[in-house]
Amino acid sequence: MQLDPRGVRFAAAITTVVLAVVLITGSGWLVLAQAVVFALPALFGMRFSPYGALFRVAVGPRLAPPTETEDPEPVRFSQTVGLVFTVVAAVGYLAGLTALGVVATALALAAAFLNAAFGFCLGCEMYGLIARARGARTA
Amino acid sequence: MSLTGAIVVVAVLAVATVVGLVLRSRSGRIRTTAGRTAAGWQLAGVTPGPDDRVLLLQLSSPVCTPCRQTAAQLTELAGRPGLRHVEVDIGERPEAARTLDVMRTPTTIAFSRDGRELLRVSGVPRRQELLDALDTELSAAR
Repeated sequence: MQLDPRGVRFAAAITTVVLAVVLITGSGWLVLAQAVVFALPALFGMRFSPYGALFRVAVGPRLAPPTETEDPEPVRFSQTVGLVFTVVAAVGYLAGLTALGVVATALALAAAFLNAAFGFCLGCEMYGLIARARGARTA
Repeated sequence: MSLTGAIVVVAVLAVATVVGLVLRSRSGRIRTTAGRTAAGWQLAGVTPGPDDRVLLLQLSSPVCTPCRQTAAQLTELAGRPGLRHVEVDIGERPEAARTLDVMRTPTTIAFSRDGRELLRVSGVPRRQELLDALDTELSAAR
């Protein structure tokens, strides 16, 4: 399934709002819910993205057909990165390690905002850096 | 309610906005890097043919939407005489990214026939700007 890039950014915008609310309320349960939202597409594929489904049902039909589409694999990878950060954040908040929760949520917020506002995929960029660091270690 | 949390939100959004604007302004812009030398043709695994003037070595990663747009564009450009395009996946060949000091994908580096680095572009290159920048090299010695 090719993705509508506007749907990807729509999902990132909702994620941005959710993560901002997490930081303001300090709610471990809300960031855990966001982790579940990341886990579904990360584990089962982009068609299971709840925000993506919301876009397809409520927003997409009101817009013109997409002029370009996006491959799902990079986006799915970024959902996996988001999953890792939000799980760490949920553990932090719920275990009373608030500083850990704040830092992990802040990083996820930065990534979601860059995607929503600039179409820039931080998780995807990290993949290259991780690959490079791995190469440096094994060289 | 957490005042600290609210401050963190504002700070993160401010920093991310600056980062985003910097990245956007750099994306697709040609940076002249003439003078550096690197074994671009060897890294690409190709020997310049008699008519090859410029190698466009594209460093990509597997999870990278703009890499695919860049590849499509450069493949089309490589139909022109004198231009070669080779894509290297830094997931498979991380040493290429280190040798060429590349932090982001896609990064495209142009090498002259004799191995001089001419320019590099991070992000999807702007087609006409790239062709203009390579014009001298492509028309030289023809």
